[in-house]
Amino acid sequence: MIRAEELTKRYGDRTVVQDLSFTVRPGTVTGFLGPNGAGKSTTLRMLLGLDAPTRGHSTVAGRAYATHPAPLTQVGALLEARSLHPGRSAFHHLMALAHTHGIPRARVEHVLGLTGLTDVAGRRVKGFSLGMGQRLGIAAALLGDPATVVLDEPVNGLDPDGVLWIRTLLKSLAAEGRTVLVSSHLMSEMALTADHLIVIGKGRLLADTTVSALVREAGGASVRVVTPEADRLRALLPTSPHPDAQITAEGPDTLRVTGLDAAAIGHTAAAHGVPLHELTPQTASLEQAFMDLTHDSLEYQGAAA
Amino acid sequence: MSATTPVPAPTAAYRITPARVLRSEWHKLWTVRSTWITLVTSAAFLLGVGILMGATYTSDGGDSDVDTVVLSLYGSQLGGVCLAVLGILVTAGEYATGMIRASMTAVPRRLPVLGAKAAVFTAVVFAVSFVTALITFLTAQIFFSGTDQAASLTDDGVLAAIAGNATGVTLLGVIALGLGAALRSVPGAVGAFIGGVMVLPEILGMLPYEAVETAVRYFPTQAAGALGSADPMPGAATPGAALFALFLWAAATLAVPALLLKRRDV
Repeated sequence: MIRAEELTKRYGDRTVVQDLSFTVRPGTVTGFLGPNGAGKSTTLRMLLGLDAPTRGHSTVAGRAYATHPAPLTQVGALLEARSLHPGRSAFHHLMALAHTHGIPRARVEHVLGLTGLTDVAGRRVKGFSLGMGQRLGIAAALLGDPATVVLDEPVNGLDPDGVLWIRTLLKSLAAEGRTVLVSSHLMSEMALTADHLIVIGKGRLLADTTVSALVREAGGASVRVVTPEADRLRALLPTSPHPDAQITAEGPDTLRVTGLDAAAIGHTAAAHGVPLHELTPQTASLEQAFMDLTHDSLEYQGAAA
Repeated sequence: MSATTPVPAPTAAYRITPARVLRSEWHKLWTVRSTWITLVTSAAFLLGVGILMGATYTSDGGDSDVDTVVLSLYGSQLGGVCLAVLGILVTAGEYATGMIRASMTAVPRRLPVLGAKAAVFTAVVFAVSFVTALITFLTAQIFFSGTDQAASLTDDGVLAAIAGNATGVTLLGVIALGLGAALRSVPGAVGAFIGGVMVLPEILGMLPYEAVETAVRYFPTQAAGALGSADPMPGAATPGAALFALFLWAAATLAVPALLLKRRDV
């Protein structure tokens, strides 16, 4: 459990994070979402005691991170920037951190195995690829078998295999009852991994919601239907048991349906012999919801052509 | 807290202790090449210059009035620079690589990290310097036998001066370590050490003011020099005063980053 209360960080007259309050609960993956420069990394650094907030405070399991007798067992963190000596081997990097808490060698070898680094553990980190570096960062985060895992942009620069691995890992960590907070500037990535979302922009809280609620607020997932008998299908679709269902015509033979899934539409069409030329679930609405939410708080905005 | 949190129970045996932070810093020190390179280079300078001094020495060459220990360990000036670089790498090096974020996340109270770094550095550098200085002195004596620089470890002040030399370079290294921690930049700290600790007192010593000249005796490099001579040099601090002054310099240089460490963002 992480709790942030009115966290504020100012550098001179530049406010990077302002009055940010949120709670991250165990057992789910919480996505920490915002455009570049929204203050995500700064917030995470404040949670870990690396940066002191100008105002406000945060707690991990009820007390400030720095006051825990064994902080690595409370929070395991992967920070955005590389936090290691490139001349040290992966094993020795982890071992040096492990020594501070009396974590045994066996646990170091376990997390190396968990992250698939056993074969390269003796190599100096200098020669690691971006993906291997991320894996080492995650191995360090898991070192203390922490109740909370905080990962800053873990999929940045990873190949599809690595991205999939992270997604699976995050879900399994949450399934084990841990608190998982993962930051990203990609809504699409968060939609696949996170259950809960904390969205910030320009250092302020924009939304503290669930993925499904955000989709619903954005007008829900829709289905694009192309049929030569658009008017007939429209009349046939069962809107009455689905008060949310809405059908709009996008053209003479194109309908956009929200509140009904593709299966329901397909069954109705088949039952009444309506030929369908296209039946496409549209999932872009989540990205659109994020864009709408953060539109006013982008740090760098391209001018409209 | 109001809500119960079904988290996996942390292993109770895992917790930070000062001894464990020391062990971590010990492990860090020996698992990067720069430690070996700087230690071996400093030892090579000390021994190499010692042999050079011995091999080229003649009783009528005009160096007869130079302290035997000072002459044998002349290379500690060069070796000391290597050790200062090591001290800077131990602290400022972590800021350069980003390792400091991992260190401070593991030990968020921060001060134990700086303390452990200084303690491990002091112990290792003193041990290496003292052993190398002993070997260098004895090696140089092979050449000095039969000259007016012939001396033995049991002679008055010799062993104390060898230990003093090692103490001097060690505490100068601690000053460098403190500068590295305060400035958080390897080149910045190297510049500050060379300019502020090594060159500045030489310039001040040139000034025609008696008070300045007296004060300069207690500056780090001059105090270290006084510690490393078997016979008290004229115009230098006594070994006791020199040791005290050098210790204060090192403590003060460590106190600055220690005070800043709690306040500054990592």
